[in-house]
Amino acid sequence: MSKEACIIKGTREGLSILIPASLEIHEVIEQLRARLHATQHFFEGAVVNVLAENRALKPAEKREIAKAVEEFGLVMGNNRIYKPEPKAVNAVNENELLEDTLLIRRTLRSGQRVQYDGNVVVLGDVNPGAEIVCSGDILVLGSLRGVAHAGCNGNVRATVFALRLEPTQLRIANYISRSPDEDLPQPVGPELARVTDNMIQISAYSFG
Amino acid sequence: MGKAIVVTSGKGGVGKTTTTANIGTGLALLGKKVCVVDADIGLRNLDVVMGLENRIVYNIVDVVEGYCRVKQALIKDKRVDNLFLLPAAQTRQKDAVNPEQMRDLISELKNDFDYVIVDCPAGIEHGFQNAIAGVDMALIVSTPEVSAVRDADRIVGILDSQGIYDMFLVINKIRPDMVRKGDMMDIDDMNDILALNLIGVVPDDEGIIVSTNKGEPAVLDKRSPAGQAFRNISKRIEGVEVPFMNISDGTMIERFMRMLGVGGKR
Repeated sequence: MSKEACIIKGTREGLSILIPASLEIHEVIEQLRARLHATQHFFEGAVVNVLAENRALKPAEKREIAKAVEEFGLVMGNNRIYKPEPKAVNAVNENELLEDTLLIRRTLRSGQRVQYDGNVVVLGDVNPGAEIVCSGDILVLGSLRGVAHAGCNGNVRATVFALRLEPTQLRIANYISRSPDEDLPQPVGPELARVTDNMIQISAYSFG
Repeated sequence: MGKAIVVTSGKGGVGKTTTTANIGTGLALLGKKVCVVDADIGLRNLDVVMGLENRIVYNIVDVVEGYCRVKQALIKDKRVDNLFLLPAAQTRQKDAVNPEQMRDLISELKNDFDYVIVDCPAGIEHGFQNAIAGVDMALIVSTPEVSAVRDADRIVGILDSQGIYDMFLVINKIRPDMVRKGDMMDIDDMNDILALNLIGVVPDDEGIIVSTNKGEPAVLDKRSPAGQAFRNISKRIEGVEVPFMNISDGTMIERFMRMLGVGGKR
């Protein structure tokens, strides 16, 4: 595994050197020498602030850094501790939270198609011949009788919910299921479709 | 190399889609490899009448625009072997496809199928021009109504001017009792105006409404009179000589009454 590198960046107060917590001081000096040597006189005369991640530099360490930068004509500025911003723990979850939701306050009729990057909520029905395709979840507060495609960018955890779920065809990510050819008893309450065991399964929706 | 047939009428509601579904199924029952094509983009029905709506993933516009191959869009019929449907797009307009693209598509299908049957939209505009592109033969559907015959005549004129000379007339929804009473145009009246080769006469049949709603073509029902008529048309397309059903003769009793000179028009 390669070590993290020092980051040199320009700020209003001059140059800043960000020192990752994982580096030993001799590694920092090595890296600085290499970087400054490569840039030659480019940084000459600049004030350098040293920011060490999550730790205070010892006076000896500060002196070593100062000696190294001054070799290349840089002026040592002050020295601070910085705390990196916490990285997103779970990128996927965060994306889901950030996903937009489109609210449709009417019935989608045959031939009408809604395509959206995010979730879709319909306050009305989705009639046969209408189609919803979106990257997130689909919620229909009415009857869903048309075609619904949730998670169209490959999100297998997307779901389709409807107060009456009687779709012509359901698609979640790359899974497709169609309505049965023979008449089945109509659903009595709200239902939720999701991918389980590599197939789309519909179950009665219960809250809690 | 197969044969492409367009089912057209000019007027709406005369039974183009029903005719397409039934003749397509009828020819497949005769062992032919058949593809029915729904050219009514934006108002598709053929899939519903054949009970295949829930199987549609790709459609004719996806094929033409190159999103999928023809084979991916074809839907295999659920009852009859050798029968396939190329569905129309519902969420698009007629101008999503042009006649040149249709001509290419039809000729590609003709390589794989014995019959390619195109269900034409009503009207004589863009959708009609798409539907007749690249076909070899036309079935003109008309009901015994003056308006339907007038529109059919217009269609015959257009097809003629575009070089489609192989045209046959399908008379649909005829009601023998009304014809006998003289309340409905009879076959001769219609032929007088259209002067086309008659390929079939389909009686008005309540069973058709049930069968289209259920998505089961009437040809599959041995007891349906309309189904029988469509089976006969399929055989005639195949070149088999089938005598016409005696629609105007009515029941035994009616015939007997006529022999005695009681009732009836003739």
